[in-house]
Amino acid sequence: MSQSLRPYLSCVRSTLTAALSLSNFASQAAERHNVPEIEAASSPELLLNPLTVSRNAEERVLVEPSVNSVRVSIRIKQADEIEHILVHKFTRFLTQRAEAFFILRRKAVPGYDISFLITNLHTEEMLKHKLVDFIIEFMEEVDKEISEMKLFLNARARFVAESFLTPFD
Amino acid sequence: MAAPEVHHLFHAPIADHSFSSDRSTLAVARDNNVELYKRSGNAFRLQDELRGHDKTITGVDIAPRSGRIVTSSQDRNAYVWEPSKNGEWKPTLVLLRINRAATCVRWCPSENKFAVGSGARIIAVCYFEEENDWWVSKHLKKPLRSTVTSVAWHPNSVLLAAGSTDGHARVFSSFIKGTDERPEPSAWGERLPFNTVCGEYLNPTAGWVHDVAFSPSGDALAFCAHDSSVTIVYPSAPEQPPQAVISVSTQLLPFTSLLWSSETELVCAGYDCGVYRFSGSSDGWQLTGTLEKDTSQSRPGMEQREESALNMFRSMDLKGRSGAGVDDTKLKTVHQNSINTLRAYDESGGQVAKISTGGVDGRVVVWNL
Amino acid sequence: MANINWRTINIDALDPESSYNFDLSTLTPAVQPVSTADVQTLTGQIRQLLRGGDASGALQGALENAPYGADEQGKAAHLSVVTECLNQIRQAEMTPLLQRMYKAEGGSELCDTLMKYLYKGMSQGTDTPTRNHAGAKSMTPQATGGFSQAGGRNFGGTEGGGQAMSVFLSWHEKLVEMVGPGSIVRVMSDRRTV
Repeated sequence: MSQSLRPYLSCVRSTLTAALSLSNFASQAAERHNVPEIEAASSPELLLNPLTVSRNAEERVLVEPSVNSVRVSIRIKQADEIEHILVHKFTRFLTQRAEAFFILRRKAVPGYDISFLITNLHTEEMLKHKLVDFIIEFMEEVDKEISEMKLFLNARARFVAESFLTPFD
Repeated sequence: MAAPEVHHLFHAPIADHSFSSDRSTLAVARDNNVELYKRSGNAFRLQDELRGHDKTITGVDIAPRSGRIVTSSQDRNAYVWEPSKNGEWKPTLVLLRINRAATCVRWCPSENKFAVGSGARIIAVCYFEEENDWWVSKHLKKPLRSTVTSVAWHPNSVLLAAGSTDGHARVFSSFIKGTDERPEPSAWGERLPFNTVCGEYLNPTAGWVHDVAFSPSGDALAFCAHDSSVTIVYPSAPEQPPQAVISVSTQLLPFTSLLWSSETELVCAGYDCGVYRFSGSSDGWQLTGTLEKDTSQSRPGMEQREESALNMFRSMDLKGRSGAGVDDTKLKTVHQNSINTLRAYDESGGQVAKISTGGVDGRVVVWNL
Repeated sequence: MANINWRTINIDALDPESSYNFDLSTLTPAVQPVSTADVQTLTGQIRQLLRGGDASGALQGALENAPYGADEQGKAAHLSVVTECLNQIRQAEMTPLLQRMYKAEGGSELCDTLMKYLYKGMSQGTDTPTRNHAGAKSMTPQATGGFSQAGGRNFGGTEGGGQAMSVFLSWHEKLVEMVGPGSIVRVMSDRRTV
């Protein structure tokens, strides 16, 4: 399992490192504005080719770089419907608290479960390599979290079933 | 080689920095203000602040002889600051006539003009108009199709190189009647009315051009682009294809700034946080090394390593990182974040002995070459 | 026309002078169009090499003749033949092969092309709604869409493609060791896509 996790994460790491070469870039479309170009998409030449890193058909990361911002979208592994619901609830919980999270995007890109928007302000304020570390850490934690929650849910379901069925014993 | 001189000024990005000609004053762009630091002993102390812009400052340049400071900002304005009798700095607004951010500014070597690049796909060439007592500008517009990221002057003060996010590096003539003397014909061109395009270069992958520079003699042009490459152009004759265009693609992250330290050597710095040297001639160029000194002398003790072996494998396995579990917050390089600008610090006769770099991490570092 | 929501019309798209209408073709120096038939003959030749057991030669040939000017169909055909080459080469042979390729004349360009194919290979099968402005510049307003709770998703066949991806990932790892992040930056900034 983790055998294929390592190349996946190292690939995401190198892709992110390359993508996080951002500069402070004022908008060409609106005067006195400075907006993330990847979201505004007002000038095609300022956007770079988006890159996808996939581990399998269900787990992948989309990195969309531009001159002053990078959008990173993650599709989290979901093997069955329980995991699907858990992932949905979990990412919803996070995105609703996005302002405390700095780089989290409020809405995921279609086809993905959670998105981050890293702008030049973030790379200036924080260390670039630590931002990459954070994303990687998030990716491994979220898998762990989801499977833990699933175990917990199953355990609880078993417990509930047991106590429900005890009177009929 | 002596260790680089590091000045950690504050925790904010330094978009641009410039030293006065005697190297005792350092002007640094910090957010919406330019801060002037005075050298006292080995350190720089904050002395004055130039307030006036209301958006991020993108460029600051001190004219070596006259001591005037020109600043450009994302608020679409540029100011020329002159010292007044009582020691204060008096700003003069420049009539740029642009409607997007000003992105960079440089004095020309003769100091009677400066060029401001902008997001409005315009380069404003500014000169002083005596009768009205203000700075006015003429626009270089024609083939520019995107934001101008950098401008650089030819030693003859007429030719101007500009890099842009449309992937092209261009050479223009900025000849202004009455201000400039007619330049000597060179490989770039003979007759040079205003807005003559003397050269337009695109590198194979057409990444955004971050910086351009003329060689000390002015007979070659170098530019670094967002595809981690450095391209050097040797023109042959006016209206002719250049005699050599050499593109060096590197394994590093892109460079944001470059400088000719001599006719055959370039110094580049950028997102990799380090300073790198290139050398070559019209026959070919290559990366020759870095200015960072090796940090491998302090090897951790054996027992410490054994202890962290488990951590190392775990981190390799889970995080996709080969480093051990040691504290890796600090980068090995002197700058802890991208380098924004590279400037000559000690120069004589086309040979640069010392350079200074300013980075996003709020450091200004003086390096010995 | 009656149903157009005027508020969502992108007026920048209607102004030929605006930065929204930047001509991206000015960023691709000298790419000749290649017809799908030409790509097919080329892939045929590469497959022949592959059958002859010369996987590294086949890969080299495929990378040297990347059809930048072909249409989607031609590019897809070429990608599949590159993928076949990559699958044929064993794990232990990757590094020496890459080293040889990198050292040779114009090797760094070949490595960049290989990197492009690796990313392309990893992105296939993900019907990603790529940025909709570059390809089809639609001036029609977009539907805001309703709010949907956890949208449906098909399970099963989850691990499908995992094997193919791990090939790309291990190639990627070996390649990055050699050419550094510079090559990834070039894949991002190069407008000549494979």
